[in-house]
Amino acid sequence: MHRGTVRAKPGERSQRAEVCMTAQEVRLCGLLLREHFGEVVEKVGTHLLKSGAQNLRTIIHETGISLDLIRRSLCVLVQHGICMFSSGRKGPGSPMEYQTSCDRILRILRFPRYIYTAKTLYGDTGELIIEELLQRGEMTMSSTVKTVADRLTQNMEEGRSMDYSEVSSAFSKLVETHFLQRCPPMAGAGTTKSATPATPGTPAGTPAAPVSTAPPTPESFPDCYKVPHVTLIGRGKRQLSSEDGEDQRNAKKARMDSETHGDEGIYWQVNFERFHLHFRDQAIISAVANKLDQTSSEIVRTMLRMSEVTTSPIATCTKPLSANEIFRSLPTSYNIARPILDQYLTLLVDDPMEFVGKAGESGGGMYVVNLHRALANLARATLESVVQERFGSRSARIFRLLLRKRHLEQKQVEDFAMIPAKEAKDMLYTLLSQNLVQLQEIPKTPDYAPSRTFYLYTVNQLPTARMLLQNCYKTVANLVERRLFESRESKRLLEKSQRIEAILASLQASGAEPEQLTEVEEMITAPEKQQLEALRLHINKLDSAENQVDETIFLLESYINSTATSAS
Amino acid sequence: MAEVKVKKETNLSDPAEIENRIKELCHQFPHGITDQVIQNDMPHLEPQHRAMAINKLLSLGQLDLLRNSSGLLYRLKDTQSASKMKGSDNQEKLVYQIIEDAGNKGIWSRDIRFKSNLPLTEINKILKNLESKKLIKAVKSVAPDRSVTGGAWYSDQDFESEFVEVLNQQCFKFLQSKAEAARDSKQSPMVQRNSSFATSHEVWKYICELGISKVDLSMDDIETILNTLIYDGKVEMTVIAAKEGTVGSVDGQMKLYRGVNPVLQPTGLVRTPCGLCPVTQHAKHTYEAELQVSAGPAVSSSPQNPHLESLNEKKGLKVCPVVCPQVFDDCHEGGEISPSNCVYMMEWLDF
Repeated sequence: MHRGTVRAKPGERSQRAEVCMTAQEVRLCGLLLREHFGEVVEKVGTHLLKSGAQNLRTIIHETGISLDLIRRSLCVLVQHGICMFSSGRKGPGSPMEYQTSCDRILRILRFPRYIYTAKTLYGDTGELIIEELLQRGEMTMSSTVKTVADRLTQNMEEGRSMDYSEVSSAFSKLVETHFLQRCPPMAGAGTTKSATPATPGTPAGTPAAPVSTAPPTPESFPDCYKVPHVTLIGRGKRQLSSEDGEDQRNAKKARMDSETHGDEGIYWQVNFERFHLHFRDQAIISAVANKLDQTSSEIVRTMLRMSEVTTSPIATCTKPLSANEIFRSLPTSYNIARPILDQYLTLLVDDPMEFVGKAGESGGGMYVVNLHRALANLARATLESVVQERFGSRSARIFRLLLRKRHLEQKQVEDFAMIPAKEAKDMLYTLLSQNLVQLQEIPKTPDYAPSRTFYLYTVNQLPTARMLLQNCYKTVANLVERRLFESRESKRLLEKSQRIEAILASLQASGAEPEQLTEVEEMITAPEKQQLEALRLHINKLDSAENQVDETIFLLESYINSTATSAS
Repeated sequence: MAEVKVKKETNLSDPAEIENRIKELCHQFPHGITDQVIQNDMPHLEPQHRAMAINKLLSLGQLDLLRNSSGLLYRLKDTQSASKMKGSDNQEKLVYQIIEDAGNKGIWSRDIRFKSNLPLTEINKILKNLESKKLIKAVKSVAPDRSVTGGAWYSDQDFESEFVEVLNQQCFKFLQSKAEAARDSKQSPMVQRNSSFATSHEVWKYICELGISKVDLSMDDIETILNTLIYDGKVEMTVIAAKEGTVGSVDGQMKLYRGVNPVLQPTGLVRTPCGLCPVTQHAKHTYEAELQVSAGPAVSSSPQNPHLESLNEKKGLKVCPVVCPQVFDDCHEGGEISPSNCVYMMEWLDF
């Protein structure tokens, strides 16, 4: 079904994490790498995606890129947590092997959403902290605080500046709520940076590097969420002219500060999983708000908030919460009486979507949020939405009917859906050709004669979701390509407009006459201005479309991942 | 002294008297009498004479001959219907009987032939006779049985999809307004939810009162319509236990329906032209579609997916108003169709 599906070599799969990818995913990853890091990194990254884990020599040999460039590309990829390295297959002592995986690169697509979430939760300070960390991959707390303070000061009025302590406290809050985490110290391969042992339980003094299994997760280290004691006193500095600009891609200029703040060697990264849990919770809450009402969604929000730290990311449902606890934890603005809360909870339990389940009777009733079931329902609603928009409401009716009744003959579909036979047949065949519906043969006789076989239509939710996910990847790749194309087409014009803006800025700074300014402004003709405006609109539209499709991607990915964990 | 019953001895030699006696017996036993009963009453009557009398009555059309499991039954014929058939001969009576037995469904002339074993020409003559006497009527469709015609949704073998659509919308409006009224009542959530439900009986009454249906609709018919609303994702159903005899309850259960809101807005993927561009695996389709594309963007009036037009009306959704041909699979950078030169992408961006 996918042209040129690329699979990892057979040997790799057993040892490493999932290296499964399709042509669409590789294409999208390549585009994202190109846009954020440049073409060289794109080449190296996509090569690693397609070939699995390789050592340096093989990479050089197969890509034909110089050692220096490859080294630097790998550096960039490692810095951003996209590429991991570990000892080779032949055991400790063999050359290091590098590997990447699609899902880490695809996260780049979601960066705007992470930044926006940080903004809604922790204001502008939080937004900039996350933005800096996403751009740099990993940083120490002190350098993050200083950079963010400088940036905030830049946007403030003259004479005002941002104190380091404010930024530090925002940083600490992000760590407390697990949105930021320490990068796992490199064990075995390099110098040990902290006293924490490489893997818990390894007796101190064992010199051997760990055998190459899945790399240790950041959370396997006990200090993962511990804010170090830093001495950071001062305020942000305003820069007069921004030489650095926003075009830094590969330049990870280390701040040549001679100051030390007590947290050297402790690097922080964004905890993507935590953001994903937050998005998942948000999706569930808004689904409840849509289906039921605001108050019910607030109750579910409270329940999810209470379970944030006690529920594991792969849990099927939250830990049971008693109605008493929920009542106490409701926000004070929601002044509802206890019996009314019980009614809301009962209604949530009775709802066919089964967002909330009842787990017992103690404490006034024990309730859980059914996470996996909610994800499955949201994925199902997504599939139904796609069928509805692509093929019309009557085809959507047939689709929903098959989801409910599982297996139906053609005649039964016509009868239940109340669609004339000819049209129903048409719609079913269209859905079949698009692989949204499958045909199951049940023979009455061993010879599979068509006249003596039952042909049943059915919908399998999981494979259909996977297929749509691939569609999403292709769509996003198309949108990115179109965006790059539009920019390329108008490159000359864009450069001209940038030059003129720079001239204007410098003229203004040096106090030029208004006539001079207007003269410079008029260097861009009216049609050119129109073209620029149209370009701006196009790019914005494509950008927001990418974000919208990413929402669909997130729902489908979460659903597919949830089935994988519950099946295991 | 006990009263002695005096029975008038039937004069067994008078056939008229025998016939009258038999008729009296029939009056006594309206369900019918057997030979045995007649014999008990007139023990001295010879079987021959009995048979003659019975045959006379039958030919006069005053007795009906029926068969049950134990033998033959004689029943007094309804005088009204007896007068109808006066003047008709046996064959006509037989044919009329067959047609009457068919009841509401009516019967094909071929079936009459099979049942009566009469030749076709005879049947046609008889039917013409009966028709002229206004006893039977040849019909195309007069209150035919549901199973024959397909029920309320078919008229002349045509599925009335418009009618179904209208009913669909009306039922949904009814349930929606009930749900809204419940929401606006601002009562406790349990009461709100319960009052947003409507039983299938209520919906049926509402539809009947609306009078939009020329055909009588049963509650079952309404339930099939409500089921289609469930498959549309607009309505949900629960079943509750109901006391026998409650209006609308069937087998101790009642079905309750209510309008629901969708759980998700149209998903992000379908707000892009690529999301609506269907994937295809048939090379033939893509080739034809490619020709269409290279011919120019004249596809905006394609009737294939009329629903796309309605998407433009959705607030805030700027969706490509043009149909995408089946080219998604063939679309790749550097190919004939690519994101850089996609006509639909261009139209969507400029919309």
